[in-house]
Amino acid sequence: MNLASASPWHGKGLRIDVSTGGATVAAVPPDVSRAYLGGRGLGAYMLLAERVFEIEPLAPQNPLIFAPGPLTGTGAPAAGRYSVSARSPLTGTIFDGNSGGGWGNALKHLGYDYLHVTGRCATPSYLLVGGGGSELRPAAALWGLDVPDTLARLRELHPGSEAAVIGPAGERGVLFASIVNNRGRSVGRGGLGAVMGAKNLKAIVLAGDGGWRPRPVDKERFDFVVYEATKMLKSNPITSQGLPEFGTAVLVNVLNQAGALPTRNFRESRFELAEQISGETLRRDYTTKRGACRGCSIGCARRTATAGESGDGPEYETIWALGASCGIGDLTAIVEANYACNRAGMDTITTGATIACAMELTEVGALKGGPRFGDASAMRELVDAIALRDGIGDELAQGSRRFAAAHGHPELAMQVKGLELPAYDPRGMKGQGLAYATSNRGGCHLRANMLYPEILGIPKMIDRFATLGKAGLLINMQNLACVLDSLSLCKFTALAMKEDYYARLLSAVSGEMVEPQELLRIGERIWTVERLFNLAAGFSAVDDTLPPRLLNEPVAAGPAKGHVVDLAPMLAEYYICRGWNAAGVPSRAKLEALTVAGLAEAAGVEAQ
Amino acid sequence: MIDQFQSIGRDLFVAGLISSHGGNMSVRMGDRILITRRGSMLGRLEERDIIDTGLDDNDANVTLASTEIVVHRAIYQSTAALAIVHTHPPYAIAQSLVRDEILPIDSEGSYLLHKVPVVSAELTAGSVEVAGLLPQWLKEYDLVMLRGHGPFAIGHLLEEAYQLTSVFETTCKILTIAESTGRAVKEYRKGSERYENW
Repeated sequence: MNLASASPWHGKGLRIDVSTGGATVAAVPPDVSRAYLGGRGLGAYMLLAERVFEIEPLAPQNPLIFAPGPLTGTGAPAAGRYSVSARSPLTGTIFDGNSGGGWGNALKHLGYDYLHVTGRCATPSYLLVGGGGSELRPAAALWGLDVPDTLARLRELHPGSEAAVIGPAGERGVLFASIVNNRGRSVGRGGLGAVMGAKNLKAIVLAGDGGWRPRPVDKERFDFVVYEATKMLKSNPITSQGLPEFGTAVLVNVLNQAGALPTRNFRESRFELAEQISGETLRRDYTTKRGACRGCSIGCARRTATAGESGDGPEYETIWALGASCGIGDLTAIVEANYACNRAGMDTITTGATIACAMELTEVGALKGGPRFGDASAMRELVDAIALRDGIGDELAQGSRRFAAAHGHPELAMQVKGLELPAYDPRGMKGQGLAYATSNRGGCHLRANMLYPEILGIPKMIDRFATLGKAGLLINMQNLACVLDSLSLCKFTALAMKEDYYARLLSAVSGEMVEPQELLRIGERIWTVERLFNLAAGFSAVDDTLPPRLLNEPVAAGPAKGHVVDLAPMLAEYYICRGWNAAGVPSRAKLEALTVAGLAEAAGVEAQ
Repeated sequence: MIDQFQSIGRDLFVAGLISSHGGNMSVRMGDRILITRRGSMLGRLEERDIIDTGLDDNDANVTLASTEIVVHRAIYQSTAALAIVHTHPPYAIAQSLVRDEILPIDSEGSYLLHKVPVVSAELTAGSVEVAGLLPQWLKEYDLVMLRGHGPFAIGHLLEEAYQLTSVFETTCKILTIAESTGRAVKEYRKGSERYENW
């Protein structure tokens, strides 16, 4: 069967209530597909329209929305991705994460623009979706298995399938549990794995092939743009050399040299043992094989091995979180802790950052007998304790915000809106501070990473210590990130490609002219819808802030010495550039221009 | 910000991309525009030459703004541009007089531009006609050539728009020199015949 389609959208999704196993096929109107593209954008639209801001994150009614994008599986560079959207149990905000591997392609081939999963299985189950429909299968034999064993078992049961699963952390409700699919790629952050666990849902298996294959309307033009895009990726030293050779860990030395590698829970911004945990060391002593998501020419993934174990990763963020952030320079311990997180299905950033928070609480005397900075064996034990919710691990499984507050020092949780900050100290790259503060899903580098212009010089190098004049650039990056997550393309392509490439790819696939500027407008619409969700959920401008340390404690030494983040003027400029008032609420004119005024009104958000 | 205007303005003049008082630049800062003063010398910009005025609404400062303020505003209102550079480079102007689009034959121009549309207007300076025409093209291309006048380049940063301008003039210069030899250009790029569809 060949269902080659001229449209990049199927125009339908599958809604499944796992309480009953009932499934219905629902239409996706063409105007919704064009306005939100797919992936993250489609998820954001549905979460706001369905008033999910009123639903507790771990309640059965909180939907998990799995969605590929219009470019998924088309052969566009690094386009084999999908998003998962829900309200986060860690942050309470709207949340989405995306992953590579082959799961997104498989869903697209089955003929759906999304899977919408609500309810709670009476007993542990997994969901099997194929060309003929869906069914719930008992997962008693899978429950309790770690991620690799679950994936392996499901491959045995359903040869040729693609599975997205949770590990023990998701089963036990660790608030930063992840969802992991074949090839070891994760929807890592925000605890979407806990949402899945709360549904008693161990896995979603895509088996069989619905027969759909992409057929760009203008195939010749599509091939031409792919050729030109690939040229750009192959001529850029980051995408053709740095990432393929070292993986994302190439950034350890880059950020350390810049004085922007947060160390010991952001107390310092340079790590004296950085060389020991660098990408160069990882390549030399641990890397056994390079890997790539389907359809990707960059290949930033890698297999590694220690004397006793082997597995995927670690990524840069992981090395930082379990390493510099905890004051640990033992790369073997970091690599093996990463394996443990992967087995349990836990976000390594929040895991490491929460342990670092516990280490500082110990240092200041607020946590008796707790772990100390630099103690690799304590860090390693705590990873397992968190996954099992054993002892202090049960508290740590709530994330740093709740943990630090419970021990009397909320200011020591290095988080924004409840999500732990990643591996970039904004005192050494001020625009990143604004990016963290304004991120719709909390402290995150994937909503927009000012690393590009402030450290890597993409599109051009800007003064990383300057404050004013960066809001417009950040907003364009945030809007573009929305576009990439909704087309479902890897963000690393933006290291070498500009928005016009994405517009030309979508135009060739759909046969409808999409201008680059229109694409950014779509990104702005998605960002605004996410903001509306958060406003409706009770978030406000008060939450657009940073941990006090970053605002008040100057960096003591290194290239960023003496710097703090002067956030207030940046934030004021940001709101103006967004067309929001001083309280961070979009103007009516802005909402109408983005055609979301009706959504805002229905959500009860009063435009200013 | 003044430093960026000064250094790029100086470079534009030294590179021969503008005459003594020609060209203009601006950046968008939220609902404001910083634009070079009407009649200023981009090669010798001082603080008083950077005019701060409204994006949508006029204020008294508009009396000092570049003649092209109407075009700059229209571009910002229709695109996500954060910076605009407009110049009068001689090779580009010459090529625009004999073509409806300019297709680079050099490597750098091919990578960065692929194709540059040439747009015609009767009134080419500070006109409502140009303000109506250019933004539509700049939604699709980061640099558009106004026939007989000069290119408008957009970017997220002033340096980006400057780079496109510089590359474009170099491209046109190479094109002019290659054509002047009277010999056929030997193609070295795969798929370059498709650049006209970019």
